[in-house]
Amino acid sequence: MHSRRWGKGIAFLVLLFALTIIVGCGGEPEVETVIEQVEVTRIVEGEEVTVVETRVVEVEREVEVQVEVTATPEPGRTSLVVALAEAPTSLDPADHRSRTSETVIRNMFDGLVTRDTRSGVHLELAEEMNWVDDTTLEVKLREGVTFHNGEDMTADDVVFTFERIINENAIEYPEPHTSPRKGLIAPLESVEKVDDYTVRLNFNSVWPPAMQLLVHQQIVPKDYIEEVGTEGFINNPVGTGPFQFVQGQLDDQIVMERFDDYWGGAPDLEPVGPAGVERVVFQVIPESSTRAAALLAGEVDIIQSVPNELVDTLDQTPGVDVQSAPGTQPIWIQLNVTDPLFSDPAVRQAMNYAIDKDLLIEAVYGGRAVPLPGPLSPFNNFVNEDLEPYPYDPEMALELLGEAGWTDSDGDGILDQDGQSFAFTIDTIEVWRPQAEALATMYRELGIDAGVRFWEYSVLRDQLLNCERQAFLDDWGDSAFDPVGHFEAKWHTYVEGEPYGRGNFSCYSNERVDELTRAGETESDTATRQEIYDEAQQIVYDEAPAVFLVLPEVAEANRETVQNWEPASDSRINLHDVTMAE
Amino acid sequence: MRAVKIIERILYTIPIMLGVAVIVFVFIRMTPGDPVDIMMGQGGAISAGEIEQLQSEFHLDEPITTQLWYFLRDALRGDLGYSYIKKRPVTELIGDRLPATIELAGGALLFALLVAFPIGIISAVRQNSLLDRLSMSFAFLGISMPAFWLGIVLILIFAVGLGWLPVQGRLGSDITLQHITGFYVMDSVLTRNWPALQSALAHLILPSVTLGAAVAAIVARVLRSSMLEVLRSDFVQLARAKGAPEWLVVVKHALRNALIPTVTVVGLQVGVLLGGNMIVETVFSWPGLGRTVVEAIFNRDFPLIQGAVMVYAFTFVAANLVVDVMYTYLNPKITL
Repeated sequence: MHSRRWGKGIAFLVLLFALTIIVGCGGEPEVETVIEQVEVTRIVEGEEVTVVETRVVEVEREVEVQVEVTATPEPGRTSLVVALAEAPTSLDPADHRSRTSETVIRNMFDGLVTRDTRSGVHLELAEEMNWVDDTTLEVKLREGVTFHNGEDMTADDVVFTFERIINENAIEYPEPHTSPRKGLIAPLESVEKVDDYTVRLNFNSVWPPAMQLLVHQQIVPKDYIEEVGTEGFINNPVGTGPFQFVQGQLDDQIVMERFDDYWGGAPDLEPVGPAGVERVVFQVIPESSTRAAALLAGEVDIIQSVPNELVDTLDQTPGVDVQSAPGTQPIWIQLNVTDPLFSDPAVRQAMNYAIDKDLLIEAVYGGRAVPLPGPLSPFNNFVNEDLEPYPYDPEMALELLGEAGWTDSDGDGILDQDGQSFAFTIDTIEVWRPQAEALATMYRELGIDAGVRFWEYSVLRDQLLNCERQAFLDDWGDSAFDPVGHFEAKWHTYVEGEPYGRGNFSCYSNERVDELTRAGETESDTATRQEIYDEAQQIVYDEAPAVFLVLPEVAEANRETVQNWEPASDSRINLHDVTMAE
Repeated sequence: MRAVKIIERILYTIPIMLGVAVIVFVFIRMTPGDPVDIMMGQGGAISAGEIEQLQSEFHLDEPITTQLWYFLRDALRGDLGYSYIKKRPVTELIGDRLPATIELAGGALLFALLVAFPIGIISAVRQNSLLDRLSMSFAFLGISMPAFWLGIVLILIFAVGLGWLPVQGRLGSDITLQHITGFYVMDSVLTRNWPALQSALAHLILPSVTLGAAVAAIVARVLRSSMLEVLRSDFVQLARAKGAPEWLVVVKHALRNALIPTVTVVGLQVGVLLGGNMIVETVFSWPGLGRTVVEAIFNRDFPLIQGAVMVYAFTFVAANLVVDVMYTYLNPKITL
């Protein structure tokens, strides 16, 4: 989703500028790496366009050392307020396809299992889970769990929950439709009740990432929904989670109160018991500068997604902490392998060697990112441990390009071949402007004439899938920490109308990779799966249909009075564990 | 007679709205971008057939003429469909957001008129004085300042720096308010919830000033120039010659006649205040229609865009009608 990112750039600049005025400057001159921008007109694909070129330079400048703004809480406020970066789309766990909705929902609802950023998947409402055979999962439910309306959570609720997700047109409001979360649990064929606290999930094939993906389905109360209908349910949701709904509008505020009869939460994850705060409010603040201002003014306690430009400013403010967690959205430049310029794997490898990822991480991310070792995030459970990030090696890059026939024969500083310059355009969306410009500069330093062009993603997507663009800079999420759901979208050959290759903007197609991708989806043995994915990653790494860049961290900020809270890779905001200091 | 004319004018809005509906319908579908794909996000975790199924659920697999027919048929029954993403009826979503937008537009208009009238009148009466020059430079600044910038600067000064006013939202997070009309100022008065009233008003100030600044500037300039013209006219000279006090000349004789062009401008600006507030709503996290429609456009949530744009179109048509009717009161020589 790129929608939330509009118009950010200017806001940061204004905020930074204004904060500088307010807090004043001072201190020793220091050498700093900065990105300088120059506007030039150039010819790209026969059209005259204005591109902004970026140079990464070292300059001496005065750095701010003293920030006098202190985040003071609003006097007398008793609620814990969390600023969300976008509005949730629904409070019905079965009727959305949005991370933010899940962020809010998981404070009111529990799943059979849950996930912790550090330690992985843990049992939540399930007391025990066993594979009866390759495709049947038996779940023993925890007893004594009650919904917010006082009813017991039993096998009937679990069966109802999953049937509401997998059955066609099971959601009746506003018009009968199928749950948009069905795809997240596609292999689930049926659910049956064994006894009051035991259910069986029957899958139609072996499904290795079952546990990871069950995290994303939360249990809803059967009797209540049958009584009030979906409309009644979304206006007053009832779950088994640590907080119960009080009131709210999705675009504005969602207010919840501690549920005093909470069963405690996953026993593996301390603390167990009712939530630590009495009242929590999720406040939607789409504009990042406003979120930061609200934190500084003490109106909110936690803010989601702090932009890189504001990380340092907030971090230096007394009373505010910026924390980060490994992200789940790797970014890369997808090179169109059907374009004559990038059809040779050696050229594509050279494009990888030409990039100084460390400089990118320092200059653009302020150190808050890690280099990508290959096609998968280094935190993916099936990452190929043998792969090392392509090193920054401009000589190697030039050598490979030379072998492919690209040399600077006319001495103009740009590589050429048969009278043609090595020129291409990085297409991207506005949110990646700093990255795109830094990358283009690095290519120019090597002798590749790289330009940058900005688009709206939904306009660009069809052109990418039709192989009409040369290079595309973007991210692609991997929140299940499993190659399924990610690898097939990114590196499998594009198949129209299917998940395969729907994010394959390189037009990359390799039969062996396709075969391995499909094999990995249904292989139940972990070691064999690892071998399958190791081979697939190795091939993609060697053939380099993309310039593998970095995995940015998720930065969130909180007031120091908020204790026992940390950001999660999957953007979950777990308020159950949080306590407030006086 | 006037009533008949007004009804006639109201009837004219029907073909206008129908035209708008069809144009909007066709144009948003011609924009590149597939709602189903955007809805599915980045995961590959989609079951085969899910995409097709969603397309048929939204009728996106049918010819555009058929889709248009469904839309018009349902729209006549007052059903604008339901949001692809939010899964709620469009009329309900708009009904939820519109009060916030109207409340903000009202605040902005109030601010604009309170500022523009004194400035416009005094600048005209004291033409070329220091006050005139000063206020006209301010007006110029008001027009030139982007709302985005002004909003953030106001937040930094009055909310973060001085702590006098809230940064964002419509109500403090600790305040509970029973929603009756959706207009928070009105709701808090109706329920006699004074802390909520105080909070709602405090939250209105910065966004109203930001949104109203440009309108204040425009209205002040128009009022000043029409006042100048009227003040030079014969009947004003006559009034003065008859020995009427200057304030009476200005307020009764000049202002009333200078109001005609001013009312036109204010009327059109009301449309802008209601339909051009996306940026202000975003900067101040104001949960109104503007923010919703921007989100809907990025998500290609066709029914929601369609509904919202029709509301905007209606607002402009209605504002024009009101302006025309007001003319007839201000100057009985004008007929509808």
